[in-house]
Amino acid sequence: MKRSRAAVLGWQLVILAAGLSVWEWGWDVARAIMPKPWVPKILDPYFISKPSAIWRSFLRLGCLADRAGFSACYRENANNLWLATLVTLKNTCWGFLWGASLGALAGLALGRSEYLARIFEPYIVAMNSIPRIALVPLIILIFGLGDWSKVVTAVIVVFFVVFFNTFEGTRAVDRDQIAAARLLGASELVVLQTVVIPSALAWVFASLTPAVSFALIGVIVGEFIGAERGLGKLIIEAEARANAAEMMVAIFVMMIVGILLSLVVRRVQAYLLRWQPQFDGKT
Amino acid sequence: MSPGPPPEVRARAAVSPHDDRPAARARGRISVAGLAMRYRSPGGEVRALDDVSFEIAEGEFVALLGPSGCGKSTVLNIVAGLLERTAGQVRIDGEEVRPGHVIRKVGYVFQRDTVFPWRTVEANIGYGLEIAGVAKAKRRARVRRTIDAAGLAGFDQSFPRMLSGGMRQRVALMRTLIMEPEILLMDEPFGALDTHTKLEMHRMLLEIWERERQTVLFVTHDLGEALTLASRIILLSARPGRVKEDFAVTFPRPRDAVTLRETVEFGRCYSHIWHSLGEEFRRPVAAAPASATP
Repeated sequence: MKRSRAAVLGWQLVILAAGLSVWEWGWDVARAIMPKPWVPKILDPYFISKPSAIWRSFLRLGCLADRAGFSACYRENANNLWLATLVTLKNTCWGFLWGASLGALAGLALGRSEYLARIFEPYIVAMNSIPRIALVPLIILIFGLGDWSKVVTAVIVVFFVVFFNTFEGTRAVDRDQIAAARLLGASELVVLQTVVIPSALAWVFASLTPAVSFALIGVIVGEFIGAERGLGKLIIEAEARANAAEMMVAIFVMMIVGILLSLVVRRVQAYLLRWQPQFDGKT
Repeated sequence: MSPGPPPEVRARAAVSPHDDRPAARARGRISVAGLAMRYRSPGGEVRALDDVSFEIAEGEFVALLGPSGCGKSTVLNIVAGLLERTAGQVRIDGEEVRPGHVIRKVGYVFQRDTVFPWRTVEANIGYGLEIAGVAKAKRRARVRRTIDAAGLAGFDQSFPRMLSGGMRQRVALMRTLIMEPEILLMDEPFGALDTHTKLEMHRMLLEIWERERQTVLFVTHDLGEALTLASRIILLSARPGRVKEDFAVTFPRPRDAVTLRETVEFGRCYSHIWHSLGEEFRRPVAAAPASATP
């Protein structure tokens, strides 16, 4: 068991090293040994940069290699890497929290009430059919270039994902369990608190891991289309200067932000759903 | 012809008063009169129950026995107020049972596993007390005692998925019994358990009932189970369900779930009732979708 684990890690490191090597030296080596038309364009550092150049861009954007010193550079540059990351992270978190809360509440309400569900069904189907990203220019028009438009975009993207899962989860609650709670003296409200919500929580959480990625996507797209700061803005600026290395820096930071956010969601999930077999020993 | 019923099971009219005297404390009485249940299905109207009537005295242990799909669970669910009826009266201690209105003195144990999987054994058993607002310290003490009595000591912080089917059903039973119901309604509660576990559960239930003497209405299709536990067996006919026969079961108490089954009398009673039950099992069930038994 332990040996196979080491082997897996070993292979992962080999693949990483191979990938990075091809990225760093692939273009030069290919050009040296192949006729020119055969060299794959995708290896061109103009498009994908190089790990070493990306690292240098990271140090520069992060004010880690500035002659004036870190704090002077940090103050001078309104959209330095750290501030951009912080802004994007903050907007993603707010968008996620509001979107998930509203989605869960709406899902719970409509899942519990057949009547409300029937009234709202056509509206929800219609709204859900709009590609959310198409709304971003409109949202920016309404909420401006600041952080609000990014939060609202994330809320709208997250809302439907969480809504549909909560709705299904609420309807899938075991009717005998509800009857059992009633027979033990539970009121309608107590049934909701002690049976429906805990039971639907597994469904809600199944949607939260994708939802947190969607929130990040929403914020980034919002920043692409119109923003003053953020990681998306950083990418758009780098694109204007055809600077692949800077774009790659922003992309890597987004990757790390995405990983961290889903780790947090998993942690909370593993604790709240510790009664489920798949979360055994992960708390 | 069979040589007449053995003395341990007699048509109830013949034995009066009952062998099992009611406890001194006032418990729940159940009265069902002219109960009928019809519902529409794609194949037309189904008559699930037709004029079911019986009275259950305080502290009686009654088994409701019948072939699958005869509507015995339907009767139980109507008595519990979980299901609407088409016609008839159901009263508990003289009070009319209305569907959707829970009567506090009634406890119910489901056939299916309805233990809350997100609550520990302790929190499951304490559920009723918790929502009734019993203080934490008091609740814990009572739950602890119940857990010990059920042989679940050491599992109080376990989640139900870590338990066997029999243990889960014991949790479900204790979750109901801790509320000290005057009437215990049980819907084939041990139907999903293996034979050995089932006998253990019979032992436990007998021990509890012989001490507490609640009124019990126990739905089962297992004749051996009915004879082991009950003081009286109400036999329902195949659909539409009707009370076909009503036996008093007079094996002495305290009973032992295992040794009772080995006695000659048990075998005689078994074959006597089996004779009546057998006819019902052989009769084709009229227009019966499988979903008819809730």
